[in-house]
Amino acid sequence: MSCSPFDLRDYLFGELAETDRRQVDQHVRSCSHCHEDLERLRLTHSTLLALRDEEVPQRIGFVSDQVFEPSLMRRAWRAFWESSARLGFASAAMLSAALVIFAFFRPAAAVSVAVTDTAKIEQQVSERVTAAVEKAVAESEARQARKTAEMLQVAEQRFDEQRAADMKNVSDTIEVIQKRYNVRETLLARAMEEPK
Amino acid sequence: MIFRAVEDADLIGKARQGEVEAYNLLISRWEKRVYNYLLRIVGEREEALDLSQDVFLKAYQNLRKLDDPARFAPWLFRIAHNEAFSSFRKRRPEGELPDQAQFPGDEIPAGGPAAFPIELSIAVTTALGKLSPEHREAVILKIYQGFKFEEMAEILECPVSTVKSRLYTALDVLKAQLAPLKSRGVT
Repeated sequence: MSCSPFDLRDYLFGELAETDRRQVDQHVRSCSHCHEDLERLRLTHSTLLALRDEEVPQRIGFVSDQVFEPSLMRRAWRAFWESSARLGFASAAMLSAALVIFAFFRPAAAVSVAVTDTAKIEQQVSERVTAAVEKAVAESEARQARKTAEMLQVAEQRFDEQRAADMKNVSDTIEVIQKRYNVRETLLARAMEEPK
Repeated sequence: MIFRAVEDADLIGKARQGEVEAYNLLISRWEKRVYNYLLRIVGEREEALDLSQDVFLKAYQNLRKLDDPARFAPWLFRIAHNEAFSSFRKRRPEGELPDQAQFPGDEIPAGGPAAFPIELSIAVTTALGKLSPEHREAVILKIYQGFKFEEMAEILECPVSTVKSRLYTALDVLKAQLAPLKSRGVT
């Protein structure tokens, strides 16, 4: 167990503050046990460092492809939207411009005139709407009455025709019956006159 | 005329504006580190290269999401970590992660003449392969990539205490594994 004021491994890896490092330095000079511990750690560390870095077998690199690369305008556009500072500045500038334009081109007297004319306009609109509605209703009613009259006339005509046809049928039927009766009477009379 | 070194942040800024060449320059600065990190995690060169390409492609696609360009390294290695462990899961749907199976070598022999660098390298690879992927990754990030504990915690998305625990447990195992080799000395 090490009696060093700080962890010797932290010391070895340079993770101690300067003042703590100095304390360990002093302690290791006077304590043979901790000195040996530190030497063993250093030896392990140096043995591990015998494993050298290898060269990369093939260089890694990317090629600029115009098809997939965003255009200058698109990059600028994206940079604009991704920068909150630029967006804030643009918003403030637009607001200022709108205020200036409004101050210069504001229609000054139009407000009072508009207030007085509003009631008149509303009345005119109301009158026009009422007239238009009444006219439309009258036209609709007239159309409906005309249609009803036409339908009634057609129905009466059909009724008369049907009645005449029925009367003719009855008359024809009676005539046939009458003729059959006459024939029968004639035949009966003949049969009575013939000698047995 | 004032000369100034081109920082990663400058290249990130240009790459964000669609300059592919700036991104290629950024890749050239980081590809070796990313490749070696992945190689030590997955243990296969071809797969490490494929994963490296995927890492840089994903990084390019998500470059706008990087809030602080100064944190590019932990952010990039976070992507690499996700790619490596995603690859493990694809290879083993049951959730079993690879261990020494991918890594060459057997037990490290004790005694004999001093170890040659190649022998030492194989021995270290074997010892690393015996660690669990989490412990191995902690060693790789600290010893080979030189990240600070806070950066490792950011990459692995876990507390610093977990990072330290994994690293120090792994170091104890490695110390025991490599002890026979150390007793023979290194040429």
